Amino acid sequence: MKRRRFLILGSVLGLSPYMQAKEVSDFEKRFKKLAPTLSAVQEHLFPEGSNIPSAKSMNVTQFLFETMMHKSFDKDIKAFVLEGAKELEHREKGRFISMTDQEKEKALRAYEETNYGRNWLSRIMTLTMEGLFSDPIYGSNIQEAGWQAISSYGGLPRPTTRYIEL
Amino acid sequence: MSVYDVVIVGSGASGGAVAYTLCQAGYKVAVLEKGRLIKREEFSKDELAYCRRDLVTPNLFDEYHTIEEKVDGEWITTPTYESGWSFWNGNIVGGSSNLMSGMLHRMHPDDFRLKSKYGEIEGANVVDWPISYEELEPYYTLTEELVGISGRVDKHPFEPPRSTVDFTQPPTKENAVVKLFDKSCQSLGITPLVTPRAVLSKDKPGRDACYYSNFCGSYGCSSGAKGSSREALLKPALATGNLTLLSNTYVKYLHTDKKDEVSHAVVVDTVTGKEKKIKGKIFVVAAQAHESARLLLNSANAYHPEGLGNSSGELGKNLIFSGGGSGQGELHKDSLKHIKFKELMTTGLFVNRSILDWYFIDHWWDGRFKGGSVEFMFEHQNIISRARKNGYEDGKLVWGKDLGERLVSRFTEQKSIRFEVFNDWLPNDNCFVSLDPVHKDKFGMPVGKLRVEGHPQDVKVGNYIAKKCEKVLEEMGAKNIYSAISSAPPQNLVAGGCRFGNDPKTSVLNKYCRSHDVKNLFVADASFMPTGGSVAYTWTIYANAFRVADHIVEALKKRA
Repeated sequence: MKRRRFLILGSVLGLSPYMQAKEVSDFEKRFKKLAPTLSAVQEHLFPEGSNIPSAKSMNVTQFLFETMMHKSFDKDIKAFVLEGAKELEHREKGRFISMTDQEKEKALRAYEETNYGRNWLSRIMTLTMEGLFSDPIYGSNIQEAGWQAISSYGGLPRPTTRYIEL
Repeated sequence: MSVYDVVIVGSGASGGAVAYTLCQAGYKVAVLEKGRLIKREEFSKDELAYCRRDLVTPNLFDEYHTIEEKVDGEWITTPTYESGWSFWNGNIVGGSSNLMSGMLHRMHPDDFRLKSKYGEIEGANVVDWPISYEELEPYYTLTEELVGISGRVDKHPFEPPRSTVDFTQPPTKENAVVKLFDKSCQSLGITPLVTPRAVLSKDKPGRDACYYSNFCGSYGCSSGAKGSSREALLKPALATGNLTLLSNTYVKYLHTDKKDEVSHAVVVDTVTGKEKKIKGKIFVVAAQAHESARLLLNSANAYHPEGLGNSSGELGKNLIFSGGGSGQGELHKDSLKHIKFKELMTTGLFVNRSILDWYFIDHWWDGRFKGGSVEFMFEHQNIISRARKNGYEDGKLVWGKDLGERLVSRFTEQKSIRFEVFNDWLPNDNCFVSLDPVHKDKFGMPVGKLRVEGHPQDVKVGNYIAKKCEKVLEEMGAKNIYSAISSAPPQNLVAGGCRFGNDPKTSVLNKYCRSHDVKNLFVADASFMPTGGSVAYTWTIYANAFRVADHIVEALKKRA
C-alpha cells in the first residue's frame, strides 16, 4: 500500500501548495484558514448530547493543531488533514460550515462514498479520539471527561511533559 | 584514544547480557546505542507518546527499511516511510526489551533438531542447530534468575526439562478470568499452563515487584519489575564501573585493518553529528537481526567485498519472523459464566495462560508436524486504539451519538480476551535482508531491504491452532469470535540472517556465534538462529547471549 498515493488519489484538487508548505508559520496560516471547517466536522462527528464528551467542549481543534505541529507528526498526514478539509469545502462550494446538521450529515456521508473522503474522515476521527482519550496534558480530555465517560483511565505514572520531552 | 576490551553494538537483550557478563568479569566494555536513555523514573503510560507517535523508534523519513513483497507474481519494493509499516522496535537504551509484554518460553529440545525430527520440508531451508538444548539449559536458568522470570512449573509433555525445581519468583497476580479459562480448557481436554513472564512478582535488589499498572506491553516499567536489559543487566553492569554506555551513538560500519580482525567502529554522535572511531579488542554486534546483518553488509571492504564475515554468502539470508497470528472474542456482562463481571473488569491483573498442547502434532487424521504455542491475554488496554476499533459498521463509519453509545457499551459492558499463536516461520529463499541499492538513511548509509515471504506451511499450521483456540473462546462463552492468521511478518519477532553452524561454507557464525571469517567479531542477538522454535524469542536471546559472553570471557583470558 502506498500511503502517498492513497492520500492524493481521488482529490479533485490534487497536489496543492499545502504539500509543499515548508514554513511553520505557513502551515499555521493555512490551518487557521481551514480551522472552521475542521471544527465543524469534528463537532458533527462528536456532537453535544452524546454519551461521550463533545468536540466543542474538549478543545479538539486546538489539539489537532498542536499535535500536528509536533516534530513527531507524519508530514504527509499533516498535509492530508488540510487537503481533505479544503476538498470538502470545494465539494460543498464553501457552504459546509453554514449547513444545518442534516445537510452536514448528507454532505459527509456523500464524501464518505469516495475513497479519499472516507480516508480523510477516518483520519479526522482518529485524531479527534487521540485528543479525547489521551492524557489531559495534551490539552483535550479536559478534567479526564473522556476517560470518565467510558470508565477507563490512563495508567500510572502519568506523563509530566508532552511527547517524552525529558 | 582508549581501546575497550569489548565493544558492543546495541543495548537490547543480547547486548545487555554480554555487557553484564563481561563487566562482572572485570573487562572494560563500551555499549553503543543509537537511541537515547529513558530512565525508570522518566517512563510514563502516555499512550499518545509511546504508542501513537514514533518517539522511541526513528522517524521513518529519517531511517527506514524497504520491504519487498510479491504482488501479482512480481517483487514490489516499498519504503516503510511510504507504507508507515515500521520495522523498528524500541531504539532506546535497553532496546525493545523495555517495551515487551514479557510472555516467555524456553524452546523445546526438539526445536534444536527440527530437521532430524521432522525431515526436509520442500521450499524451506530447515537445518539442525550445532548445539543442543542441554548446552543452553544452564543459561535459560541463569536468565530466569538474573533477568527475573516469574512462573510456576506445571507438568506437561511438551514443557522442556529444567535443571531447577521451580521458578524463584511465583507467578504475577491473575485476573479471575483464569478460573473461567482453566475450566473451559479442562472441559475440552486441554491443559492450561501458567505463562512464564519476565515481570517480578516479588521485589529483587534494586527492583520493585510489579504494581499492576494495566499498561505493560509497549510501555517502559516504572517499578523495575519488567526484566528489561536496562533494569536487569545494564544497571548492574554500570555499577561495576567497567561499562561505558554511549547512547545517541549510531554505528555506520566496522573497520578491519587486517582480513581477520575488526579494529574499530565508525560511529556518529546523533546529537552533534560528529563522527568518531571506537576501538576495541573484540566486537559484538547485537543490533536486532535485520540490522545486525545490515551493519555487516555495510562494513564491506577490500578484504570482505561482499560484507564483513560473508565468505559463505549466507549473510542476511534465512531471516525469520514468527508464524501465526491472533484471535479475539468478547466476554459480555449479560452472559458471563462462573465469575463476576466486576472481577473480570478489575484492571491490571494478568491472564498468564498459555497452551502447549499443539506444540507437536501427531494425530491419526491430521498428521505429524511441528505445531506451535499459544498465549492468552486481554486485549491491550490502550484506550485510544480500543476506542478507534469501534469506528465501522457494515463498512460505514460510525459517528455522532451512535458512536458515543457504542463506546460506552464496549468499554463498560464487555471485555475482550485474545490469543496469539506462535509457530515456526520456516526459513526460505525469499526471506532475507540485503542492502537497498538506492535508499540511504539520514546518516548516508544504505538501508536494509527486507524480502519477507513466508512458507505456505506456516499459515496452515497457524490456522490449525487458531481453530482450536476459537473453540476455547467459545467454551468460555465469548461472543464475536474471530481470528486472523497471516503470512505477513510480525516485525517485533525477528531472527536469523547470520546462521550459526559448524561448516563455514554454509553458515556465518560458528557454534559460539563468532564469525567464521573474522576472529574478534561476534553476533550475539537472534541473528544466529537457523530455525526459530514456536515461542517468542526473548528468553532464548538472553540465554544464548549469556552463553556467548562466557565464551568471550574465555577468549579474553586466553589472550591475556
